[in-house]
Amino acid sequence: MADESKGIISAGAGLVWRHQRVFWWVFAVNLILAALGTAPAHHQLEEVLGQSLAGRPLTNGFDFGMFIELFRVPESNLYRSHHDSFHADILFFLFMLFVSGGILTVYHEDRKLKAGEFFGACGAYFWRFVRLLVLSLIPFAILGGLYSAVDKLSTYVDDRVTPASAGFWILAGGCFILLLGCLWVRLWFDIAQVRAVAQNEYRMLRNLWRAFGITCRNLGQLFWIYFVISLLAWASLVIGLVIWAHLPPTVTPFVFVLLELIIVAQLATRLWQRASAVTWYGRHAAMFPTDAVDHATAAPVELVEPQSSSSETEPLAESEGALEPEFPEEPPQQP
Amino acid sequence: MQARSLVLAGVGLLLSAEVVQGQSPFAPKVTGPLSQRVVAYQIDATYHPENHVVEATETLTYHNLTGQPLDRFPFHLYLNAFNPKSTWVREAHRDGSFRSSTFKEWDEKRSGSNDVTKFEVVGIGDLTKQIKFVSPDDGNADDRTVFEVQLPRPVAPGQDVQFKISFKAKFPEVIARTGYKRTFLLAGQWFPKVGVWWNGAWNCHQFHAMTEFFADFGTYDVKITLPKNYVIGATGVQTSDADNGNGTKTVAFHAEDVHDFAWTADPNYKAVESNFDGSVGPVKIRLLTYDSTKSSWQRYIDVMQGTMKRFDEWYGPYPYAQITVVDPPHGALEAGGMEYPTFITGDTVWWAFQGEKLFPEGVTEHEFGHQYWYGMVATNEFENGWLDEGINSYTEVKVTDDLYGRNTSVLNWMGAQMGDSELQRLQYLGRPDADSLARPSYTTMSGGSYGSVTYGKTASMLLSLEAIVGEKTLRQAIHVWFMKYRFQHPTTEDFLRTVNEVAEQDLNWYWQQAVYGTQMLDYEVLRSDSTPVNWYVKDLDEKKGETEYNSMVLLHRRDDFVFPVVAEIKFDNGETVRETWDGRDRWMRYTYRKKAKIESVQIDPGYRVTLDRNYLNNSHTDERQGGAVMKITTYWLFLTQFVGQMLSWLT
Repeated sequence: MADESKGIISAGAGLVWRHQRVFWWVFAVNLILAALGTAPAHHQLEEVLGQSLAGRPLTNGFDFGMFIELFRVPESNLYRSHHDSFHADILFFLFMLFVSGGILTVYHEDRKLKAGEFFGACGAYFWRFVRLLVLSLIPFAILGGLYSAVDKLSTYVDDRVTPASAGFWILAGGCFILLLGCLWVRLWFDIAQVRAVAQNEYRMLRNLWRAFGITCRNLGQLFWIYFVISLLAWASLVIGLVIWAHLPPTVTPFVFVLLELIIVAQLATRLWQRASAVTWYGRHAAMFPTDAVDHATAAPVELVEPQSSSSETEPLAESEGALEPEFPEEPPQQP
Repeated sequence: MQARSLVLAGVGLLLSAEVVQGQSPFAPKVTGPLSQRVVAYQIDATYHPENHVVEATETLTYHNLTGQPLDRFPFHLYLNAFNPKSTWVREAHRDGSFRSSTFKEWDEKRSGSNDVTKFEVVGIGDLTKQIKFVSPDDGNADDRTVFEVQLPRPVAPGQDVQFKISFKAKFPEVIARTGYKRTFLLAGQWFPKVGVWWNGAWNCHQFHAMTEFFADFGTYDVKITLPKNYVIGATGVQTSDADNGNGTKTVAFHAEDVHDFAWTADPNYKAVESNFDGSVGPVKIRLLTYDSTKSSWQRYIDVMQGTMKRFDEWYGPYPYAQITVVDPPHGALEAGGMEYPTFITGDTVWWAFQGEKLFPEGVTEHEFGHQYWYGMVATNEFENGWLDEGINSYTEVKVTDDLYGRNTSVLNWMGAQMGDSELQRLQYLGRPDADSLARPSYTTMSGGSYGSVTYGKTASMLLSLEAIVGEKTLRQAIHVWFMKYRFQHPTTEDFLRTVNEVAEQDLNWYWQQAVYGTQMLDYEVLRSDSTPVNWYVKDLDEKKGETEYNSMVLLHRRDDFVFPVVAEIKFDNGETVRETWDGRDRWMRYTYRKKAKIESVQIDPGYRVTLDRNYLNNSHTDERQGGAVMKITTYWLFLTQFVGQMLSWLT
């Protein structure tokens, strides 16, 4: 299983690499929207510091007091500009929600789609993914409630035991477990999205249930794939910030490049997770029942029939609502 | 009565002499008395940790040095503030918070009380039933933090009266610098304390959320009985430690020429000791701390050594034999950052890192500073909070800047830096114009205004004053203030007069604005430009160093605080001109005719006038200064991108 996971991780990476255009478009939109969101702050800074010596303590080092001045003084009040940045982030969020269907289609079919095909796929799956997003708020809200409980427990322990860090470690440990929980929820809903594309599934509740079953039965392998890629994402963030902390204060162009590389790593690892999920699903697709397709509203997506190389494959369940059988020892090869 | 008083005084002296021979409360080169000892407290207390209660008997000998017969005596019972109907809680609830606690709801763990079970006057009798609670500040009949007793006959001037008081103090969970947390106890303001006869009348305010305390100098002999596994520390010096054979011990402390007595106990304390060699001999530093903050032990000792050295050299000697520093346990932040005579509480966290200098360094320095401003120069904290908190905030900036660097005395981590003077300025600008320094502290608009003005504005005001009189002169003035008024109760006018005298200037124009007023200070460079003298010539070929320019600088005073400022004008031929403007008019124009253009103009180039509420308009340059703009824009862009991609994770 470890080898297979490694193979899926590297195959996922290969998918992202082969379809770099997808990644660079996502990065470009992220950069452009963020630039638009940052523009008002830049303009404000230009007005206040553009012809002032007050910026020197910020250029030659980073005087925290002068930085706070930018937010405190009503005439500059950078704080107002955070709304524009937040709006830009919301737009990017909506953008990613919209293009997820197209991205998954590219990975699922492992081919370059024309613009019309790509956006057609985006539109075809958009409302389904909106429904999935809404449904995902339920498990995330549960995890949020659990965080509140962990926080209360940490405070309770902190109040009663002498070692100063006991409460902190309980909170840290609890948060780590909850983060793993969030990762599991993300994995579950990603599988649901992959399944929606692969099976052209319209009924999201049923899809979600199926995906839940798939995820639970293959939790070890799937979770490991997602966990490793997430670790790489966090590692790239930490390494990037450590390098940044050791740079001289005046090398702003270099800092810009470094920070953009961090963003590249974050976006790429997320796409890598999705590509890996698509790869995994494709390799095990034969094991999953194909539900009836509504041709009236079906998207023009070609279904790929897996070719089984093993005669030991169990027959697929035909009745609706039946759970997927266990996958065989020798998974079918992706054509 | 006179004979009895003489005998009592003689016995008192004899007792003090016996204790002094055994364990002097002073540094080796110091002998008392140092103050006019108005009070002598003898307290026998028993601490019950299981319910956080102290039962005690107190013998208070009051020497009537007022020059008037006294038949009414007010007392503080500070712990009674911790009930929901008191003035203190009412004010904390009004403001929403106090220090690190919120007061939107009442938690019973915060309840505290001080019950006087018996009040006897030697030679007169039991006056317990004569106790009458009063509310001289706000008329709150539910407030029990001040009571009065009327004696049937007055105490003549020069005579003594002795009170024997039995009381029971119940501590709250740590709040407002006193209380318990798990096995830890900080016992502050725990005993009935007589008011101060000041300026011809009793001065005995109710306990307010915004203010602290005021009491007379005297001697303290306190015995505390507690479980023998407890480690205890207190004001003064320990004189005995006796095992009672029943699982408890009785520890005795003695202090002279102090105006309060606090103590602390916890079985988990670790005691770390060091010595400071000052101008009056070695002083013991006793740190009571915990294993979990071991990484801060040396930091505590280092900052104490550095602070004591500077205070000794700059302002005057610390005359006592010992200073006890308490590191409160985690969760007891409310007990941290507090001062009592010869006894302070610092604060730190188990994760404190070297790059920040607030915990424990900044807090500990500040609290030691209070040994001078409040401990020895014993101003009235109810009415003139700025004289101790503010002057102490100023000396805090001077000491920490000297120890850790002007721009790094608060933070120096991963390239980010911040100095203490900037921190004080930011605190001032939080709520700068609601109250003047001279306003009685307990009447300020809110806790926030009190903090802004008392701490931040005073420090900023004194730092800005250095630009007028010079740093050395102001240091000398503070030294004279200490040496002249230690062990007394000076006022605002005493301080202002002292600075005027040392500076040999009439600074009343400054005090009127900075101390008695609420004016704000803001100067700006409104305009600066250079145009060729022959600007009217078509297609003029400007050549650096050859073309002559008319240059103009226009400075503007935006707010109402009038203060002389220095403007530094730099030309592109390397020349620098410094102009001093008295700031009286609303604006000032400077003109120059040179074969050079203005490169930059800056008001207060050293950022010394920390009262200025806007540094961003203090300068103007001819060329665009893009460095900071691009740097911050880069960070802002990255954060926007990062948050966006984090949000997209939900999709």
